[in-house]
Amino acid sequence: MSYLDLTIKEIHEALVAKKVTPLELVKQALERAKANTDNAFEIILDQEALAHASALVEPEIDNLLWGIPYVAKDNFSTKDIPTTGGSNILNGYVPLFDATVINLLKQKNAILIGKTTLDELAMGGTGKSGHKGKTFNPYDKTKQRMIGGSSSGSAAAVSAGIVPFSLGSDTGDSVRKPASYAGLVGVKPTWGRISRYGLFPFAPSLDHVGFFTRSAYDAAIVLASLAQSDPNDATCSQTAPENYMQSIGQSLAGKRIAIIEEIVKSKHRPEVIKAFDALVEQLKNDGAIVTIVKFRRDLLEAIFPIYITISCAEATSNAANLDGIKFGPPTWGATYEDAMRQARTAGFSELIKRRFVIGSYALLRENQDVLFLRAQKGRRLIVEQLNNIYQDHDLILAPSAPSIAPKFEDKTDQLSDEYLIADNHLVLGNFGGFPGITLPLGMLNDMPFGIHVMGRPFEEGLVLAAAQSIEKHTGLRNIIAPGEVNS
Amino acid sequence: MKTISKDILKKAASKLLFDMTEAQYTLLEDEFGTLLSQMDLIGKIPDIDSVAPMTFPFDTGTAFMRDDIPETPSPVTDILRNAGHVEDDQIKLPKVVG
Amino acid sequence: MNFEAVIGLEIHVEMNTKSKMFSAAPVTFGAPPNSATLPIDLAHPGTMPTLNKQAVINAIRVCSALHMDIDHQLWFDRKNYFYSDLPKGYQITQNERPIGKNGYLFVNGEFGPRRINITRLHLEEDTAMQHHFYDYTLLDYNRAGIPLIEIVSEPEIKTGKEAADYVDKIRSIVTFTDISTGKMEEGSLRCDVNISLRPIGATKFGTKVEIKNINSINNVAKAVDYEIARQTEVLLSGKNVIQETRRYDDALKETVSMRLKTDSVDYKYFTEPNLIPVKLTEAFVADAIATCPELAEAKYARYISQLGLGEYDASLLIASKETCQYFDELVTLGAPAKIASNWLNGEISGYLNKNQISIELFPINASRMAQLLKLIDNGTISNKQGRDLFARMFESQQDPAQLASQLGMTQISDEGALLEVVTAVLNENAQSIADYKAGKDRALGFLVGQVMKRTMGKANPGLASQLVKQELEKR
Repeated sequence: MSYLDLTIKEIHEALVAKKVTPLELVKQALERAKANTDNAFEIILDQEALAHASALVEPEIDNLLWGIPYVAKDNFSTKDIPTTGGSNILNGYVPLFDATVINLLKQKNAILIGKTTLDELAMGGTGKSGHKGKTFNPYDKTKQRMIGGSSSGSAAAVSAGIVPFSLGSDTGDSVRKPASYAGLVGVKPTWGRISRYGLFPFAPSLDHVGFFTRSAYDAAIVLASLAQSDPNDATCSQTAPENYMQSIGQSLAGKRIAIIEEIVKSKHRPEVIKAFDALVEQLKNDGAIVTIVKFRRDLLEAIFPIYITISCAEATSNAANLDGIKFGPPTWGATYEDAMRQARTAGFSELIKRRFVIGSYALLRENQDVLFLRAQKGRRLIVEQLNNIYQDHDLILAPSAPSIAPKFEDKTDQLSDEYLIADNHLVLGNFGGFPGITLPLGMLNDMPFGIHVMGRPFEEGLVLAAAQSIEKHTGLRNIIAPGEVNS
Repeated sequence: MKTISKDILKKAASKLLFDMTEAQYTLLEDEFGTLLSQMDLIGKIPDIDSVAPMTFPFDTGTAFMRDDIPETPSPVTDILRNAGHVEDDQIKLPKVVG
Repeated sequence: MNFEAVIGLEIHVEMNTKSKMFSAAPVTFGAPPNSATLPIDLAHPGTMPTLNKQAVINAIRVCSALHMDIDHQLWFDRKNYFYSDLPKGYQITQNERPIGKNGYLFVNGEFGPRRINITRLHLEEDTAMQHHFYDYTLLDYNRAGIPLIEIVSEPEIKTGKEAADYVDKIRSIVTFTDISTGKMEEGSLRCDVNISLRPIGATKFGTKVEIKNINSINNVAKAVDYEIARQTEVLLSGKNVIQETRRYDDALKETVSMRLKTDSVDYKYFTEPNLIPVKLTEAFVADAIATCPELAEAKYARYISQLGLGEYDASLLIASKETCQYFDELVTLGAPAKIASNWLNGEISGYLNKNQISIELFPINASRMAQLLKLIDNGTISNKQGRDLFARMFESQQDPAQLASQLGMTQISDEGALLEVVTAVLNENAQSIADYKAGKDRALGFLVGQVMKRTMGKANPGLASQLVKQELEKR
């Protein structure tokens, strides 16, 4: 048993009691990182982490993140530390500045021990498309099952017990889905709650900084450290955050929970629905008022194409700066266009290129009306539906995915006709910027599956409270993939 | 319904300054087929054109603007350290015409 | 067949704010390459735009000077295209909702002032600078992100002269409001001309040619005039005008073809998702306008109605903001407006022209100049003495009053003293007195001249003349 296997809250208590030091924690985290075979890391930062940890002597009692090791998805800008976005086009890129969240955690003396793998430029959901290859799910030692994406490595690191929390990003479910597959708490707060300055953009109107922990209370701790206004991000909210560590304690009695019928009735593993229903009963016993609500099916079925159109369009524009001229592997050619073309052809994977073509096509003047703008209209209709639900309900509850983590061979990032509402509803939280948390609901064949709870903009406190209540009922708090940790 | 041909896709990729393999264009053609038929369904949503497009997750505005106070610029060596070709403190490119 | 020219102007003005449009890097001119940049100016991943408040205030002021409707919500768009000087691969601009719409200004037309309507004014950012060499190009990002406003006129201008006047009026506004140096030669004011011809009375537009690379206001007129002549010749010879972009060649004094206009580029405009709409309160807009430095038009009116200057003199002053600034300072320091204006438009202007410098480099500061003018105006020294002193003030840093007394240069304005001299002169020039009485007015001038001679030029000429006349009456 190692202190590293505990929650942030518990590790903090041990640090304050001087039962363990940051240096010891970091040394162990680095050992585990190096021993891990899930391909979770772009880079492990031994020197930096050890130096940082060595300098921390006197515990800060009121600072719950003091001395806590963590990892960050490699799409967060880290000063003087190579950051690739999971793409060859940024090989060798060394940023000049820290993302705001990296800076905030530095100020709290949390210790960054590595940058983690991701689907290339965060544009994927399988953990397959990053330039370092597949990232595996620590729960499946046969390495057949994915951990999902795009925040693959950050999820793997926490579920493998390497660190108690990690940073990720969520544009269409990229924190919450992998959290679901890896038995973690995955948080996507309200849009604009956490500064995106320094997060490599995928689709700014859908992008959120998110994070993984192994308990709901830990999520409150991390959120409290990261939720603040930032003049460097014009979309970051100036509304003061709640005291999350207090609001997480509120009871669900009298709270109105909506369950969207079309989502729960869509195809799930029966075990998932069984566990979901049982949990709902428990919440009712807590005094929550649970109602089934309807949601327009035509809109739910439109979720995926709307998401792809908007996200690919914004992405193709965002990636136009990646041309090999200012950064990235050196390039040359007969003309500047040749130079850029060479860099972009070699640097982007095939999947990304296809996505960019889709996005670019949707933005062409002659197509915008029926593609890009129409997708944006669809977004409004969907968000209006959700706002209607939130008129009369405080939270929306659903299973987070149809089943446990799929096998690599069963899931692809390629667009196909096969469509499951059950697999695609998490992005509702991105369309309307609603805060959502995924957490473990149950186990099946030794693989975790999850539940998703989503609230109104800026009501993270209530969502955290719901998560904590659920956690109490499932008992699935602080679970680590077996066989990962040494006693 | 809009139809997609490989030529259109190749033109689009070319404008984005990258090349793709023939196999990828075939794959992309399929993906487009899927996407466009899905977008067609969206076109059939009765009230779809009755609303304005939505860019941001919620309709919010801000009054915040940055005060006109300059920050210390990055040292030249830093700002150029990631560039592949540098000369005379500037980034070097093949000759740009037109 | 007679043709009429249909001309529209697109003007870009570089703002002299302290920091850039969406980046907090400093705005500089002529700084060493890449010494005034931040990662955002090189489009480093993860950097995000933040809107410069002063740039907005500046834009509001220009909108107001151009009588435009000002949008109280600021929305931005991405204009997507690849080019070597465009680090992000897109420019942040305002396509859908420009900050200003439906404005106008008056140009001096053939038959008097003519209103030219202005379609839009919007905020955007400048590109990097390129230096081209034999087989490579170098990029300097200092300029990338500097705030620009773009002003687009309706195609209502008809002649080269009108076009030049339009540009001059814009220049006046942007310099008087202090938002830009407005110098075409330096690139802080850039003008593109769109020009087509059509038969007089026709409603359909002819083929449009774009002219770029015009580096002075005079050349705006020249370029337009040349292009009108060129297109006329093409049309009269039965050919078609080719749709293209041409540049004005200052040496050849011609427009030269640059590139053909191919399919118009699709910029795939969409709303910039990293800038949520900024809401401008009525108070903010009103304050921006109320605190705006005085425009040329307003100064002109004030100089005439409050300071009593003539139209011509006032119009000379308002040709340049710096001249007005100097003039206003002189007046504030107590120099009477009329003499200040005369000297600015006269002696000082002469000096500046001779030495090929602008008034910002004029070596005599307003304080010393005002003193000099006051000395002349109150009669302490004569005009001639004043010009003398003026010349010496370039070598000596002393106050004019000190200098004057050192040089013994005081004008005799004491009536008693002068009367003695007048009496003496009259006594010695009986013939002149007789000539004057006989109707020869020249004799008066002669007698006054003698008074001046005897006082070695120090007599107050006006007073001397008055006294001579007075004494002549008595004899």
